[in-house]
This record gives sequence, C-alpha cells and structure tokens, in this order.
Amino acid sequence: MKLYYFSEMPHHEYPDEEGGKYPSLRLAFPNRFFDRAKAAANYRRYLEEYEFADQVGYDGLMINEHHSTPSCVNVGANMTAAVLARTTSRAKLLLLGNILPIEDNPVRMAEQIAMADLMSGGRVLSGFVRGVGVEQWWANANPVHNRERFEECHDLILKCWTEPGPFRWEGKHYHFRHVNPWCLPLQQPHPPIWIPGTASPETAVWAGQRGYTYVPFLVPFDIARELFEHYRQGAAEVGRTVTPDNLGFLICAVTADTKEKALEAGRHFVWRMGPTLRGPIEWFSPVGMRSRAGNQFALKARPRSLASMSYDELLAEHFIIAGTPDEVAEGFALVQRALGVGHLLLEAQESRMDHPTTMRSIELMGAKVIPAMARL
Amino acid sequence: MRPREERLRAGGIEVQAWVGGRGAPLLVLHGAGGNRGWRRWMDLVSERYTVWAPTHPGFGGSGDAEWMEGIDDLARFHLWLIDAAGLGRPHLLGHSIGGWTAAEMAAMSPGAIDRLVLVAPTGLKPEKGEIFDIFYHSPQELRDLTVHDPKTVPEWDELFGTPPTPAELQIAERNREMTARLTWKPYMHNPRLARFLPRVSNPALVVWGRDDRIVPVECGEQYRSALPNARLTVLERCGHLPPIEQPEAFARLVLDFLGGVA
Repeated sequence: MKLYYFSEMPHHEYPDEEGGKYPSLRLAFPNRFFDRAKAAANYRRYLEEYEFADQVGYDGLMINEHHSTPSCVNVGANMTAAVLARTTSRAKLLLLGNILPIEDNPVRMAEQIAMADLMSGGRVLSGFVRGVGVEQWWANANPVHNRERFEECHDLILKCWTEPGPFRWEGKHYHFRHVNPWCLPLQQPHPPIWIPGTASPETAVWAGQRGYTYVPFLVPFDIARELFEHYRQGAAEVGRTVTPDNLGFLICAVTADTKEKALEAGRHFVWRMGPTLRGPIEWFSPVGMRSRAGNQFALKARPRSLASMSYDELLAEHFIIAGTPDEVAEGFALVQRALGVGHLLLEAQESRMDHPTTMRSIELMGAKVIPAMARL
Repeated sequence: MRPREERLRAGGIEVQAWVGGRGAPLLVLHGAGGNRGWRRWMDLVSERYTVWAPTHPGFGGSGDAEWMEGIDDLARFHLWLIDAAGLGRPHLLGHSIGGWTAAEMAAMSPGAIDRLVLVAPTGLKPEKGEIFDIFYHSPQELRDLTVHDPKTVPEWDELFGTPPTPAELQIAERNREMTARLTWKPYMHNPRLARFLPRVSNPALVVWGRDDRIVPVECGEQYRSALPNARLTVLERCGHLPPIEQPEAFARLVLDFLGGVA
C-alpha cells in the first residue's frame, strides 16, 4: 500500500473565539484576521515539510485547493505543484485536486497540469474534484451546473491531452473555437486521473466506468465500502477489473516517539473536523449541487457529523490514527484489510501541530511505517 | 368563485395552472416561492377578470425545463403560453421573479399584452441597496424576512401554519433549484433590461411594500422611471408579498388600475 503526505496549508493564526463569532470560518470570517507575515512563513514551512516527505520516501505528496477559508490557504493546486516539481525529486504529485466546475477555461487547466507534469518529469497524478459548495460561492458559479460542468470540463481537458489540435469545442458550458495547446503532459496518454468521493454515488460510478483511482475522504468504513461498490458497478458496466490500485482512502494521521506525544499532536485534527466544517448547509451544499440521490446518500454517509464527534470517537472510528510508528502501521494495515485499498492518503499536518512535531512524524513515517506499508 | 385546475402546454412543456373568474383574461406569474394556489386576492380580482395562474416550468407540478438558463427563456415561454392557451391580449401581473418575467415579456412584445402590473419585481440592479441573496440563506430565514409582520398576514396559518410535508419540501427544493437556474448570475437582474423598458408604453402599475427586505423599494422607482407610462404605489407596513400581506388593498389597487379608474 502506498502512502501519501498531505497538508491543507491551514492558516490557524487567529484567536479561536474570533472565528466562533461568525456563522462559518468559510466565506464569512473576515480576512482582516489573515496575517500576511505568518502566512508567508507558513508557506515556507509547509513546503519544507512536503519536501522532507519526499526525501523520507513517501510515495506521493497530495495537494488540494480551497478558497475563502483559513482551513486551507493552498489557493492554487497547480502553483504548488509547480513549486514541488522543482524542489522534490521522486514522490508523485497528487493534485486532488483541481476544482473543475468552477473553472472557466479548461484549456488553460489542461496546459497548467501538463506543464507541472513536464517540469516534474512525469510525476503528476491529476485529481479532479467537484468541490464543496463554498467554492461555488467563491467563484459565483451556479451550483445547479456543478455536475454538468465537472463532466464537460473533464471531457475537454482529456481531449486537449489526447487528440491532436487544432480542434473546435462547442459544448453547453464551454466554447472554444481554436484549441491547440502547445503544452502536453509528459505521461502518455495523460497523467493518471484520481477522483475523491464523500457522498456521491454518481461520482463513484462515473469514476469506475473510466478506471480512475477513486478515494473516499473521511467517511466511515461501511460508507467507503458502499461507495466502492458503486465504483465496481461502474467498472463492471464497461468490463473493467478493479484492483487495489484503483482504490484509495483518506484519513488524518500522525506519529511520534511515544504514544502520548502522538495523541497530543493528533488532537489538532479536531479543529479540521469541527470548526472548519461548521456553517450553513446552504454554503456547503447550495441548491441543486447534489442530485436527490446524492442528498439521500449524504444523509446516510454522515449519520453523525464529524464536528459532533469527540477526539476519542474520531480515533475509535479511524478518522484519525495517532500513535507510535508501530501503532500507526497497525492502524493503516487495518484500513487496508478493511477496504482493500492500494493508496492511503494521510492528512498529516494541522497548523497548530508545530513544525518539529510535524517533521518528526514525517521522519518516523519514512523510517518505519512506509517500508512496512510497502510490504502489504 | 371556485377556480379550476388546468394543464396547459407550450413548447413541449406541460404546466399546471389555476384558472377562475369571469371577464378579460389576467395572466398571473408567481415568484420564486412557487405557485401558492388560489389566494384571497385572486378571489376578489376574479369577480371582474379571468385569472390564469400557471406554475412556471420547473416549479411545483409543472414539467421540467432544465434547458432554461434565464428569465428571458421563461418570458419567451409565457409569451408562447399566451398564444397556446388562446388568451388573446391579456393583462399581465407578475410578482418578484414573475414580475421580472412580466417586464421582459412586455419589453419583448408590448403588443402581446394589455395592462401590466409589476409587484416587487426583481430584474433591475438597485443603485444603493442589494437584492437579498435568497440562496445564501435558509428557507426559514428567508420566510421571516419576506413579510413585514407575519401576524398581519391573513392567510399566514393557511400558507405557513403547519410544517411542510416531505412532498412539499421536495417541491420547495425543486422551486429553489429552478430559481437558481434562472437567476444565479447576474444575480436576479438583467443588466440590459432597463434599455428595453422605454419600449413598453402599456399602462403599468408598479406595486411595492415599503418594508420590502428582499428587493429594495428603490427598484420600484427605477421601474417607474424606465417605463414611459407607469406609476408606483408603495404600501405601508408591507414587505415583499403585497398580494398575501394585504389582499384586500392589493386587489383594490389591481381592480382600479385594470378598470382604468386610476
């Protein structure tokens, strides 16, 4: 099983009681609480941690993107990929990912991902996401078109990568009369495509039909299994065989020299589960963004919100794994046995988890956990 | 007067409609909240006019129209419906996004309608205020802001007194979704509409609630000044739903205006 290091590059540099005064940390928490100097220092720190994760042997570095939120100030996945393309040398760069429904120019997107792939020597894993509702608001993109735009944007990017230009694209949401990108990915026919999932059965089926690597994020095991079942249905429809390499899973994880230290560090993930996900349903899932089937599945997928769970409950349900290297290795093996996944994505940093703790966790993962996982 | 329920067809879409009354036809276009059925004000107005109150495509019990992208599409549909239902040259009354739709219809085809009543229509961008973002807030918050004072709304209990059934919730969600399809961006207005309103020389009545917290009353001024033959009546102690909040006063205004009394 392959391991991936992931940091959301959070900006938790404000008094928590201030954040609590607003309906949500996303969209509403005023950016006068954004600390420019600390943000500059954070980027240096977070990139250094990514680079160290590459050095110690992580199979991949996962990069994501959100907007208008202190939970994630990685506001340009492709920019981060470009930096890491130059400052790392072996790990895959897992963009998970670019938010397709809010993208107005898929041709530019195809070029940028291709450029990152070329600069990194073909290390890009290109994840495409539908995004959370907050991003629809940020971009003022109509949520009722979320799925249509996701699919059309994807189709145009793929065409840019796989069919010779020039060509014309006259779709429903995208119109380009002269498409001929002079920047194509190094990997052929194109970088592997990854798709995350939290609650949409349609997305799982869609990914399965295409053989894309599918990764549920922070859901209970039984929900992940159900989503994988939808994925397998999609794969079966087109006669594809599903292997562990098609499946991944995301959790939060940290290790330390002692169990006590690891549990203390892991407590920081509670912020990510709680305050950063707090907000009106209209912001996280605006009207029309989910199908009715997706809405029903979402209710089932999260019978209890992560925010309502205690740290101990989050540990017990394996949303967070924290312990000595042996203990986390055991936890990861349990996930692997439970879900049969070939990729485990570790949200492995949280802003108030300090730099030395983060670096030590990365180091111990590299020394003891990654080799053990490679044998699974 | 008891209305009858009809199914009307235009452009391959079947829509549900309430029809009742006697006299010249009055086409009534509902707002984002959907078709609230046969209301008290309609009862009063239907004494002298035949009220035709269709449910927009994509709303309530009407057929889908997921291909529609803007209020101009809805306006073209209702112009077609006027022909398809054989309404001749009806008076046209629209509320909120139905008012915006009515304004677009009048600008597209002023000869297709007789008199025009716009009730707190969206469609124009206010200069000072903002049109309230109905998608950013919960239906509950929205409901509380929509009227001046629920206690003064005669049909409040009938309309909102009992918790919605699952079926009603589904319809409400469908209405919201279709509204998003039609009005998301630019939000609730057409930057070009004001350019076309001077074409509409039909007698027009613009009605607003003084305490409208959804669409600022300044938009009433904008409509009044852009339409060559319009007057604006602002109702005191009234919010965004004049026909529901003050049915008698509202019906009187409409009857007087359509009858050419005022």
